[in-house]
Amino acid sequence: MNDQVTISPTTLSVHLTINGRDHALEIEPRVTLLDALRDRLALTGTKKGCDQGQCGACTVHVDGQRVLACLTLAAQVEGREITTIEGLADEDGTLNAVQAAFLEQDAFQCGYCTPGQIMSAVACIREGHAGSDEEIREYMAGNLCRCGAYPNIVAAVRQAAQELRS
Amino acid sequence: MTVHDMKHAASDSARLEAVGGRLSRVDGPAKITGAAKYAVEQRLEGLTHAVLVGATIAAGKVIGIDARAAETAPGVLAVLTPDTIMELKGASDWLGNPPAQPTYAPLVRDVTFSGQHIAAVVAETFEQAVAAAALVKVWYDEMPAIVDLSDGKAGDGIPIDAMTKEWGDAEAAFAEAPVRICAAYNTPREFQAAMEPHGLIARWQGDELTIWEPSQWLDGMARTYAEWFGVPFENVRLVSPYVGGGFGSKALALAHSAVAAAAARMLDRPVKLVLNRPQNFTSYGGRAATRQTVAIGADRDGRIQSIVHRGVNETAVDGMWVEPLGSVTSIMYATQNFSSRQNVVRVNTVVPGAKRAPGENPSAFGIECAIDELAYELGIDPLEMRLINYAEQDPHAKKAWSTRQLREAFAAGAEAFGWAKRSPEPRSMRDGHQLIGWGVAAGTYPVRRAHGEAVVKILADGSVVVESSSIDMGQGTYTILAQTAAETLGVPVERVSVKLGDSHFARAGVTGGSRLAGVMTGAVYKAAGQALDELIGLALSDPRSPFQKLQANTLQVRDGRIASPRGEGPELSIAELMSAVGRDRIEAKGDTLPASTTAEERYKNYTTIAKSIPHTEGDYSRYSWCAHFVEVRVDEDFGTVRVSRVVSALDSGRLYNPKLAESQWKGGIIMGIGQALLEEGIVDRRHGRIVNGNFADYMLPTNADIPDIQTISVGIPDPHSSALGGKGVGELAIVGIAPAIANAVFHATGKRVRDLPITLEKLI
Repeated sequence: MNDQVTISPTTLSVHLTINGRDHALEIEPRVTLLDALRDRLALTGTKKGCDQGQCGACTVHVDGQRVLACLTLAAQVEGREITTIEGLADEDGTLNAVQAAFLEQDAFQCGYCTPGQIMSAVACIREGHAGSDEEIREYMAGNLCRCGAYPNIVAAVRQAAQELRS
Repeated sequence: MTVHDMKHAASDSARLEAVGGRLSRVDGPAKITGAAKYAVEQRLEGLTHAVLVGATIAAGKVIGIDARAAETAPGVLAVLTPDTIMELKGASDWLGNPPAQPTYAPLVRDVTFSGQHIAAVVAETFEQAVAAAALVKVWYDEMPAIVDLSDGKAGDGIPIDAMTKEWGDAEAAFAEAPVRICAAYNTPREFQAAMEPHGLIARWQGDELTIWEPSQWLDGMARTYAEWFGVPFENVRLVSPYVGGGFGSKALALAHSAVAAAAARMLDRPVKLVLNRPQNFTSYGGRAATRQTVAIGADRDGRIQSIVHRGVNETAVDGMWVEPLGSVTSIMYATQNFSSRQNVVRVNTVVPGAKRAPGENPSAFGIECAIDELAYELGIDPLEMRLINYAEQDPHAKKAWSTRQLREAFAAGAEAFGWAKRSPEPRSMRDGHQLIGWGVAAGTYPVRRAHGEAVVKILADGSVVVESSSIDMGQGTYTILAQTAAETLGVPVERVSVKLGDSHFARAGVTGGSRLAGVMTGAVYKAAGQALDELIGLALSDPRSPFQKLQANTLQVRDGRIASPRGEGPELSIAELMSAVGRDRIEAKGDTLPASTTAEERYKNYTTIAKSIPHTEGDYSRYSWCAHFVEVRVDEDFGTVRVSRVVSALDSGRLYNPKLAESQWKGGIIMGIGQALLEEGIVDRRHGRIVNGNFADYMLPTNADIPDIQTISVGIPDPHSSALGGKGVGELAIVGIAPAIANAVFHATGKRVRDLPITLEKLI
């Protein structure tokens, strides 16, 4: 440890576009997107499981790509389109096909990894990586689920992919 | 206890929403949209953030702490150390035993394990607290640590006489048996690793404390906080609306909980403290590492004559944990001679704790591998071996099983798996460079019972509210209690709202030991029945009721509408009746305790586990049972093991909701696959530190590790186990998976790995 470490009090003005809405934040540069969402914007649907990029619970979309919010600084994503679990359903509450399939297939238990799983699944289908169960398993392997909902997650992604294709 | 005939069973049993129906989770919509607020996600005015500083040695003394840099860092409100934290009182343990010490220090000077909390920094923001915590300097006088069971200093440990189970003359019968096997089986330190980290928000308002914390036991934890701070139990409110997984780890208020609550008291501001992921590997105990030897003597027909079992588990230097290693050994197979004894060995670790099926899980690894070894010694099919030694009654308690569908489980599982096509010789089945192995093992878990209470309210609009301080950590409590109330009252399930996770609701004991569903469906059934009786009583006797002049003996409620069973007279919705008789609500509190229970006994029932009902109470021995059939593929060159198929047949009695029960079973099986092949806490030999305390290095199964899993329910309603006929679900399915995989690996490779996890270096 170093006595000379100085902690900068500097804050930044950061403008984030989340689920189609603009948010202005005064935050330190070291604030992650995950903590900005959870602690500053009350968007707690995005979960903190490990805070070190190992579990996938904080998966969100930035310009349509899946990204780990715990390894992304809020300031990095200014001007980009951020989508979180709260922004996935339609304005009228109609669920996204993946959300509906998760409910039907019982693809979760405690629900804590679920927002990240669903955000990953939406991207997995969009990326064209839901062609077979094998492929779904591989491309969903970055999202840990300790309750062990994996077989049901595979079933849900398969079902949603079929519905979205048809 | 009896299985109650549900009032609507005949017409409703096929319905999705009745008890036994495959209703989707009622809490599902909140969880899939991000609307579900977990405990630490509450927004509070003036919230501060605390971050812990942990010991970097495993044994020794803290001789100095320099907190000056941290104290002057931006945003820092306080640095708590053993010298500055407020004094707490000792709290009684989970059995209700009074504390050994009058005071309790959650920040320590005397270090007994690496990661133990030394200091805490509280700041305005999380980022400020994290940064300042890194500035706290600690000096130690380090002493030699006993790092784990294999440490030369560990010794043989302390005998736990209460674990001794003996009948017949096991040693002599083993010595005389014509066929004998004896082997040692080890399981490593394993972690619950719930995806939601442990943490809490603590807020004081005068002498009233509110804690938002993921909890498997609101009333038990509230008691601990009340005792630490010397305030009445009623002053503590624990809130835990959703729990992001527990697996046994979230039943107790822990040292970090005390630190947060003390900081909130000292600063008079709400404090949020969440353990970071590495701290989740050191701040509470996972499953203790275990060592067992199992010796089985049998005759040449495969009949067991004697089992001699010795077990050891690690515990802490300053705390006691006994992982009951003889629990399955003593009941799975019939034998005239049996001996099981157990020691615990103190090492420098946080006190080990409960992880899914504590005791039964490692116990089954020993006996279910050993029986497979005996089968190969005798050239008998491993499934046949188990049937030859089938226990027709509890061999230890010498009582009849309440229900034991294990024979049915073996038959159904074997049929679905295709066991008959198995070629018995090791290394005799392959697919290219992959060796294929088929293994079988059984599992069991006792039916732990307790009491609970629930409030059921019928509101003016005909909707129903169920309240209980029990919790839902993914098992489906919200859903099955809604189903129970809906069916009992005769209302559509969407008219029922279940409120859980607040200690100010009707009380409940611990959610652990797979007991909650049985206890709480019983309590809700009773409370809902009382509310229904009152509703019908009002309809029949209130002068303002249109039913009053019918002079009927009873009325029926279906789909929320009240009518005479014969269809004569009027038909009213519940709301219309409530309006007619001028009532805005009917409220009933039901509990499963005898009416004579005193207030003190009730308090003890809900805040300790001292009042749990033994599973061998009365004439019966009550257990859930399962049989697992597993296929593995082992790469011949690299020794990598993949589980390619699992078929499990399980007897959990009557299932309250098969859709959710199957999910829990699969979850147990998957955690068992992790235990068998991946999971192991690795301890650094110099400093006694968990070196893989994170999700990259402590490997949990991922989606890509898990094949299709088929579960088959072979249970029948068990009237001796619960009010509605169910037995335990949550813990059962993990028991027996690791030995089934180890046995399959032996069948594939001819190598017997008796030391979990089965990693490639043990096979090549």
